[in-house]
Amino acid sequence: MMTEERRLIQETAEDFTRREVLPLADRLDSEKGDIPDSLIEKMGALGFFGILIPKEMGGMGLGVYEYCLVAEALSRGWMSVGSLLARGNGFYKRVPGDKARREERVKAMARGEYLGAYAISEPQAGSDVAGIECRAKREGAEWVITGNKYWCTFADRADFIYVIARTGAGEAGRRHLGLTGISLEKERGGFPEGLTGEPIPKIGYFGWKTWELRFDGARTSYENAGEEGRAFYSLAEDFAVMRAHTAARAIGLARGALEDALAYAQAREQFGRPIGSFQAIRFKLAKMSSEVAAARALLYETCAAMDGGGDMAVMAARAKYVASEMAERVSSEALQILGGAGYTTLHSVERYWRDSRLTKIFEGSSEIMLRIVSDSLLGRGGD
Amino acid sequence: MKILVPIKRVVDYNVRVQVKPSGSVDLDNVKMSMNPFDEIAVEEAIRLKEQNKAKEIIAISIGPAQASETIRTALAMGADKGILVQSPERLEPLNVAKILKAIADKEKPDLIILGKQAIDDDCNQTGQMLAALLNWPQGTFASKLELNGDSITVTREVDGGLQTLALKRPAIITTDLRLNEPRYATLPNIMKAKKKPIEQTTPESYGINPAPRLEILETLPPKEREGGVKVESIKELVEKLRSEAGIL
Ligand SMILES: Cc1cc2nc3c(=O)[nH]c(=O)nc-3n(C[C@H](O)[C@H](O)[C@H](O)COP(=O)(O)OP(=O)(O)OC[C@H]3O[C@@H](n4cnc5c(N)ncnc54)[C@H](O)[C@@H]3O)c2cc1C
Repeated sequence: MMTEERRLIQETAEDFTRREVLPLADRLDSEKGDIPDSLIEKMGALGFFGILIPKEMGGMGLGVYEYCLVAEALSRGWMSVGSLLARGNGFYKRVPGDKARREERVKAMARGEYLGAYAISEPQAGSDVAGIECRAKREGAEWVITGNKYWCTFADRADFIYVIARTGAGEAGRRHLGLTGISLEKERGGFPEGLTGEPIPKIGYFGWKTWELRFDGARTSYENAGEEGRAFYSLAEDFAVMRAHTAARAIGLARGALEDALAYAQAREQFGRPIGSFQAIRFKLAKMSSEVAAARALLYETCAAMDGGGDMAVMAARAKYVASEMAERVSSEALQILGGAGYTTLHSVERYWRDSRLTKIFEGSSEIMLRIVSDSLLGRGGD
Repeated sequence: MKILVPIKRVVDYNVRVQVKPSGSVDLDNVKMSMNPFDEIAVEEAIRLKEQNKAKEIIAISIGPAQASETIRTALAMGADKGILVQSPERLEPLNVAKILKAIADKEKPDLIILGKQAIDDDCNQTGQMLAALLNWPQGTFASKLELNGDSITVTREVDGGLQTLALKRPAIITTDLRLNEPRYATLPNIMKAKKKPIEQTTPESYGINPAPRLEILETLPPKEREGGVKVESIKELVEKLRSEAGIL
């Protein structure tokens, strides 16, 4: 339900996007420039990184609903900025350090001053998270990490990297039981000893770099790990929120594409009339707006259910599937409405199109989402 | 020191306003926001409070029930309390000024900061009428405002330059675009705003009949732009300006 408070939060996020995010995206995306620190600072001052952090820990103590409202609004300008939110917020649970330091860092996270990066995926383990091979071994009071990670976005600029590592073999046929989440402390802007990396050449999601990482004996304190062998389960909890967040980002992108296409259809004239007067274009826009509205309704129903408590893995998977497939279709149709102009970097629509493509791949691909939903309908199927 | 800031709920400045076939402005499903000049007024009041030059800021909106949303925005920016004067009628500047005078008589503010005009009907009258009704000095179109004890220095944007006035409190200020850049309502402040009070009143409770005195005869969309033509010579241009445009 849209309360007064939520409306104000959305207004702030939309206003911020219009005034600060969109102009930056239009400039930096095409030159593959980094999101400036000053923008992160401004987001921190507004409270965007502390939405999901409990009040007593220095955050806003709000829910997935508010989190998604802000993510949607920011992604309407630039998905990478909407994605930045996840480097704070729910990530507070993985902040490294002893009790005192962790408290300080979580407070800093709520202000956007202490942010993390996820290193889950590997060259050989994408959808199959249980196949992770990067190893961590205990040596005295430390973990020593060795192995490769792939696709770690923001690794260079983060204050810590959350590495899912194999700490045990797991029982036969239960590989997922050998995984542990370990938070590696590091300096913002560089890599610690025992860690090197290269940026991966991607086709979108600019504003930050996505890294291939080589761990060769990187060390972190033993206390910086979650329960040993249980990372698969804590990830499963995180995934529901991450997928709702991804659905929100997809919807933001689709809205951007729709709004731009709508404006273009009214301004562009062919055959002596605005192209928005041709039924082919009018119906396209009508379908696009209906699809966005349907995905939004599903997402916020999911958010409300998640905030109400309980395991919403299937609902979140459904929302992510629907929203990301929708976003690719809608942004592609928007590009079509812009004609040749859509196929240039002179308009933002191509960015929405390129970025929405990613929402079908990461945080669990569409196929994996369908697997989760079909398992819930039919019981677990074969792999 | 107490500051009153009247704020109006208007069609958002990004909305492309459409005229309905029935001849009125289409307000269905249109995003409404605080009048941008009023946002500047709220911001200026908050800055004075941050400089310890003001103690209390009261945001007042006169309009439909939904105007409470506009007040809540002002509270989330940093105003302390709101007054909603609920009126279903289309309000004219003189009626608004009369209601504001009644509130000023009761609240006894030191300063009233208004937007120089609202972007819906662009009247640019309310501040001036209010100054006349209260018999207070006014500094309109302010681009800079300074408070020193009882005296107020206002820099105004006028044709051909800047004019500086010294006013005595209590006074009326109306804001121009360059006075400041309004802040965003931060999430922590949005949460705090929830607990701030909004007093509900009506024009009648101030003894004012809000019925409009002006009648709107017609609402028309702006004329569509026609395509331009290239002329071959100055002579042809002058000729066209005379015969077609009727300017010369
Ligand atoms: C730009 C970008 C940024 C990223 N950022 C991060 C990050 O910050 N941190 C991080 O850890 N990861 C990140 N990722 C990784 C992302 O989560 C993975 O790409 C994703 O999980 C898919 O894994 P994969 O690429 O190995 O594809 P694969 O798992 O190899 O899948 C290939 C294809 O096979 C399909 N498939 C796989 N298994 C099945 C099955 N059982 N049934 C049906 N179909 C199946 C998939 O749906 C897909 O179509 C990022 C990826 C990209 C592209």
